[in-house]
Order: sequence, then C-alpha cells, then structure tokens
Amino acid sequence: MSSGIVAMMLGVSTFLGALGLLALLWGLRTGQFDDQKKFLDGAKFDSEDELNDAVILEKRKKEILKKKKEQKYAPPD
Amino acid sequence: MSKVECDHCKLEFDEKVMIKDEVNGEVKYFCCKGCQGIYHLLRSEGLDDFYQKVGSNKLEPPKELEDDLYKFDLEGFKKKYIKDRDGLSEINLIIEGIHCSACVWLNEKVLHQTEGIIEVSINYTNNKAKIVWDSDTVKLSEIIAKIRSIGYNAYPYDPKIQEEKANSARRDYYSRLLVAIFATMNIMWIAIAQYTGYFTGIRADMKHVLNVAEFFLATPTLFYTGWVYFKGAYFGIKNRYINMDILVATGATLAYIYSIYAMVTGNGEVYFDSVTMIVTFVFVGKYLEVLSKKSAVDSMDSMLSSVPSEVMVVKNGEKSLVGIEEIIPGDIIEIKPGDKIVIDGIIVSGEGSFDLSSLTGESREVFKKEGDEMLSGSIAIDSVIRYKATKAYADSMLSTIASMLEESILKKPSIQKLADQISGYFSVAILSFSFLTFLYWYLFLGSGFEKALIISISVIVIACPCALGLATPMATLVGIGVASKKGILFKEATFLESMAKSDIVLLDKTGTITEGKPKVVNMKEYEKFDKTLLYSLVKGSKHPVSQAVASYIEDENIDIKEIELNNIKNLEARGVSASFNSDRLLGGNRRLMSESGIEFDEEFGKTVFIYAVNNEIKAIFEMEDALKKGAKEAVSEIKSLGLEVVMLTGDNEKVAKKIAKEVGISKVFHSLFPDDKAKVVEELHSKGKKVIMAGDGINDVLALSLSDVAVSMGSGAEVSVEVSDVVLLNDDIRLLSEAIKISKVVYNSIKENLGLSVIYNAITIPLAMMGFVIPLVAALSMSLSSLLVVGNSYRIKRKIK
Repeated sequence: MSSGIVAMMLGVSTFLGALGLLALLWGLRTGQFDDQKKFLDGAKFDSEDELNDAVILEKRKKEILKKKKEQKYAPPD
Repeated sequence: MSKVECDHCKLEFDEKVMIKDEVNGEVKYFCCKGCQGIYHLLRSEGLDDFYQKVGSNKLEPPKELEDDLYKFDLEGFKKKYIKDRDGLSEINLIIEGIHCSACVWLNEKVLHQTEGIIEVSINYTNNKAKIVWDSDTVKLSEIIAKIRSIGYNAYPYDPKIQEEKANSARRDYYSRLLVAIFATMNIMWIAIAQYTGYFTGIRADMKHVLNVAEFFLATPTLFYTGWVYFKGAYFGIKNRYINMDILVATGATLAYIYSIYAMVTGNGEVYFDSVTMIVTFVFVGKYLEVLSKKSAVDSMDSMLSSVPSEVMVVKNGEKSLVGIEEIIPGDIIEIKPGDKIVIDGIIVSGEGSFDLSSLTGESREVFKKEGDEMLSGSIAIDSVIRYKATKAYADSMLSTIASMLEESILKKPSIQKLADQISGYFSVAILSFSFLTFLYWYLFLGSGFEKALIISISVIVIACPCALGLATPMATLVGIGVASKKGILFKEATFLESMAKSDIVLLDKTGTITEGKPKVVNMKEYEKFDKTLLYSLVKGSKHPVSQAVASYIEDENIDIKEIELNNIKNLEARGVSASFNSDRLLGGNRRLMSESGIEFDEEFGKTVFIYAVNNEIKAIFEMEDALKKGAKEAVSEIKSLGLEVVMLTGDNEKVAKKIAKEVGISKVFHSLFPDDKAKVVEELHSKGKKVIMAGDGINDVLALSLSDVAVSMGSGAEVSVEVSDVVLLNDDIRLLSEAIKISKVVYNSIKENLGLSVIYNAITIPLAMMGFVIPLVAALSMSLSSLLVVGNSYRIKRKIK
C-alpha cells in the first residue's frame, strides 16, 4: 500500500470526525444541550401545532420590529 | 368512603370533600376551586391536550397568591431585572410548580398565545425561563398573571451576577475537553500503528505519514485545550511560584517541539501521543472542578431572588413605594407581616416578633419593640411596624452577606496541593538536569548539537508524566470510595488532602452539635389533668415548642388520640389557645400567662411551655435543645487526632457555654451573626491556620464558603449543602471524626506514592541523561511506576475497616 493512500484515508477520516466535533461544539455554544430533559421531550411534543406556534412567533417578532423601526424613522409632524 | 383523583392536579382525596362538576355530561372531581378554575380555563382555550401529556404525573394544586402584581410594573423593578434588547424587553424568571415536561409545554403554549410575546424558553431542569416581549403590547404584570392563572408562579432573578460567568466557564471548559478527547482517541489508534511499526519494522515514508497525522491532532490539543496550563504557568511565574501547570506546560511543549524536530528530520521517535494524553488527563480533573462550582451558583440565585425590590416609605404622612437602592438613612419604612426586611434600621413605632432564622440559625422567633435594632434578612411575622433606616441598602446586613458570598464562591481558598509543591521542586530539578545534560554532552563529550539537544529533551519527556500525576488521584479515589460507603460524601478529591492538613475544627451549635429542635426534658405536674386535651391543643400548632410537647406526650402514652377542640387559635410569639365544652385551654410561654392574668413566678433557666385550664396552671414542660447522639465522643476523638475544636453559635452566651461544657469544647464564640462567623474564619486564616467548618444553616453559608474545608449535614439548608465540600449524609457528627481519620490515612498514602514515583524517576532519569532512553524503556517505566502507585493506593482500604 502506498503511503499516499494511507495519508488520504487518515485525512478523510479525521476530517469527517472533525466535522462531527465542530457540529457538537456549535450545538454546545448555542445552548442546545443546556436542558437535557427538554431536549429529549422536544421530540415527544413536536407536532404541527408547535410548528405553527413557532411561525406565529417569528411573524410577530418581525411585525413588532418593523413597527418599531417605522416609529423611529417617522418624520416629526 | 372512596378516594378519587382530582381531574386537574391528580392528587387523591376523599370523595366527600371534592367539588363535583359536570362537564359535557361527564362528572369531574376537583380538590379545590383553583384546580377547577384552571381546568375550565384550559378547556376553553383549547389546551386540554395538556391532560394527555401529563399522564400520571401529579401536579401541585394552585396556591392562593396575594395580589402583588403591581410591583412588576414599578420602575425600580424594571431597572433591576428587565433588559432591553433592540427595543424589546427581556427578563429571566424562575417558574415555580413545574413537575413534568407537560408543565413546560403548557407554560410555553399559554405564553405563545399571548399577544406581544416573542420568545419563550423554559429550562425544565432548573425551572428557569427567559421571556422576550414587546412592552408596548403587553405588560410584564399581565404575563405573570397569565402564568399564575394556570396554576404556576413566577418570580424574577438576576442572572448576570454569577450564573453567566459560571455557565460560560463551564461551556468553555467542556468544549476544550471535547477537542482534547477527540484528538486523544484518534492519536491512540495512530500510535498503535507507530508502536507496532517500531517493533516489526516500518517504511520511512509510512512513518512520516503517521507522524504528520499525529502532528495535526496534537497541535489543537496543546494550544487550545492546553491553553489553560499556559495561562496557569504564566500566572505562576508572575507570582513567583512553580506549579503543576508549569510542569505540564513545559513538559508538553518540549515534547511537542522535539517531536516536530523528529518529524521534520526523520530521526528518532515522535511523542505527539504523550503530549495529547498528558494534556487531556490533567484537564479532566480541572473540568470536574469547574463543574462543582456551577451548582453552587444555581442555588444561590433562588436564595437571593426573594429580596423585594421596593419598600413602603412614609414621608409627610404619605406612603409611597421606593426602590431599595434609593433609600437613604433617616427614611421611615413601613413593613407588613410576612415582609422580608432588606434595610437595617431602628423601630420607631409598633412591636412584634421576627423570624431571625436566616441570621442566627435559631428557629424561635425574637420579640422586638420600639427602639430595638432591626437587621435585614429577618422576616416580620405578625405586625405592622414602622422603622427608621440607619443604613443604605448596599451597607445593610443582607446585601453585605449576599455580596460576600458571591465573592467567596468565586475565590474559595484551597490548600496548595502537596503534589503541586513537590512537582514544583521536581520541575525545577528536571529543567536544570536537562540543561546540565545538554552542556555535558555538547561541551564535554563533544557530540553534536543535535544529539545533545535530543538527549536533554528526552530527560524532560521521561520525567514528565505518569506516576507523579497518578500519585494523588489514585489514593484520593480509593479514599473517596471508602468514605462514601460510610455516608461521607467528598465533593472533590482534593478536600481529602485539605482536611488532613487542617488544624482547627469550627462547629456550629444548632443542627450540628445539637438536634436543632427543642425536646422536653422535664414535666412538672401541678394537678392531674386530661392528657388528651393537651395533646389535641398542641397538635393544633406547628410551632417547634408545641411539637416537642406533642411528641413527649406521644412517647408517654402510645395510643393517645386527638379529639376535636373548638376555636383553636395560634397566638404568635405566645402559644396556642382553644376551648372544649366550657373549658378554656391555654398553652404557651410566660408572656401568654401574664397577659391572660395568670400569676406565675417560678424561674426556669430553660424554655418553658405552660399549660393552663380555666386560668389554672396544670403543668409546666421544660425544654432544651438536646445534644446529638455521639457528639461528645466525636469531639474528643477529633481532639485526639490533634485538631483544636471551637464552637460557633448565634445563640446567647448562657446556652452556648452550657452546651460547650457538655460536649467538652473549651473555646466558644457566641451571639454571632453570619458575617461574624465568617470573620472568625478569616481571622484564623490570617494566623495561618487551616480551617474545617461544619454547619447546616443558611447562617453558616458564609463561613462555610470561606473555610478551607466546609462540612455540612445532609439535611441542612440546601444552600449550605451546595457550598460545602464534604456532606455527612445521615447528619451524624461522629462521621466528621471518621472523615478526618480517613483523610489522614489517604494523605499518608499520597506521600508514599509520591515517594515511590520520585524513586522511580531517580532511576530512569540518570538513564535518560546517559542517553540510553529508547521508547521501550520509556513505555516500561511509565506502566511499571503507575502499577506501583495503584497497588499502594489500594492498601488504604485495608487500613480503614
């Protein structure tokens, strides 16, 4: 076996592993593992309703932020 | 009579007492109006899915809450807790009453449905919630009202103080640990190929590939994970002491540099695997240290969160709420029953009893009248009182304690580890040896620069890792195992060592030496009386004195039963009264008797409970806080181990001296407030003493957190268990002397281990200096010395039966 192939295998497998590690670190930094129990139960209570709720919250946030912006830049009467 | 389940909270009650309700033709049962209300509310909001999600979990029936919602909209409150993020408001709350994941679901769902709320996240594990909302659309008080309407309660807490700090430290260490473990695991299997190649032959180009792969894995470990050691080494050098960090940092870095050299030139072996393993293994210990700090912070938040943010100030006959930070000495403050006092002062009108338990640790309340001093941290029990502030909030007792505690958690003193000290000298010696070796080979023997360098570095590499690093952890691990079998919980291994080195033990009186509850020691009967009546009377009160009388009667008459009395009244700070047929029953202290016109002039040195029927005294019960079983033996045993024993207490001089004499303690500090106790610890520190502090109450927390080794009783206040280093699980003070004994045995065995590894190094290092070191010798020396250390540690088990 040529050393080039070994180098490639080592490189690829370490790179893949590092990707997994990075994903884990990303999850950790964004607080996704702060609440283990909820993390697991999240799957249990994850239906269409929850999805709708999330969408409604997103929309609400956008609207409120937009409104605030408009208020801020409103020309003085 | 059959028991039925409440359809909301799932608790079971007798069918008779339940509220029956017909919903859609089905009969539903509720234990209280609160549960019924919530059930209907959830149905009408379309949230009755909740009951499927709850399953068989039991909930807490909603509590009647006082109407204090207005305080959430006050300016002072907003300033303290609400943060502004891009025009949106954000608050951190602790939600009470969460029992299962369905509760989390329900709270989030209800809040999602509220207009103006943008983000809700509730942590199930610690019940903390973060809510982001638009303050133009909805007020905080309305949000809290929503949470309360479904049977939970929420109160704010201020996370910025320590939680965020501790959390980010923990997260940071965890990421570093993950990187280290990832690299170590990968390097290990590459190293297997390397070692096999060493013995069976390997092509130079193949070896080079493996070397480079190891290099790529070792680099992040040394510079990302190992950054902690570089930082520690830097501080060590700056403050002029040599610590373990310096040894790890120099050892790992030199091995790393040497390995790079070997990799580039193709001469000799690389030691990248040793680099990552040293870094990783030592780092695991550091990570565990950070973990234990975090939980202490968690429980502190819930203690401090009950502090009100505003107080009622009376100015020119008008009452107004003022933020606690704005109070200046001289302001008149009014407090109502149940209020927590946050500012120190002197009473100007009114009198009443106060609960000082969080300051003194004593459960009985204290009566205060005009002109008496009031201390923050106490709670008004029964009356409306006006007092003049004598200090600002920041100087008051409560906030002083809080800020001291905060500080001391972050900088807990720990006795410098023996291994650290030894490895300090050790690393100086090794560094100079290796330098001398280099000079010897280069100048004296005249060999090339390269060869001299390699040999001198190999001295450091072989000296660095295992036995010395294992000496302490192995012995302490065995010690911790032995201790936990006896019910002694060492939170961290290092405290075994600190304990063995301590020379003074401070014991809190209440709850540590004594039971902490009054116990009847003597009954004086004036006339024959019906015990059943007295029993039923004292059963009507939850006061510890009444309960002591009740249990005394129970002990005397095993099958005594309660009968129903009329008009049972608890008279605060006095006792309890009731009537039976035409008789008037009275039970309580001296003050109750004199107020009811009963003459009584006998003197007792102890707390007394007087029982009278129709104003005639029937019996007197004397009580005392009884000593814990074995307290005396424990104290004398600790003394025989060569430690000084001192008692600390918030109680008065008379009681303190008496108890001290009974257990055989000659030195006593009495009438201490929490910060006084802490001062005692600090004073001993300044004299160079190492202090063990044992206590169980909130009032001991400060002293515990400052002491070198903090010991708490398993049933003590949650905060004190959290800040302590050693927990005695079954509250037995005899375990304390046992713990000290174990720690001494372990300490000796650590010393033996260190001696062994030093001897081992004394043999291998000269070999390395002579240039004989090949990987085979290094590997053998490592595993052999480790085995010796492990074997020696197991002897601890035999020494302590």
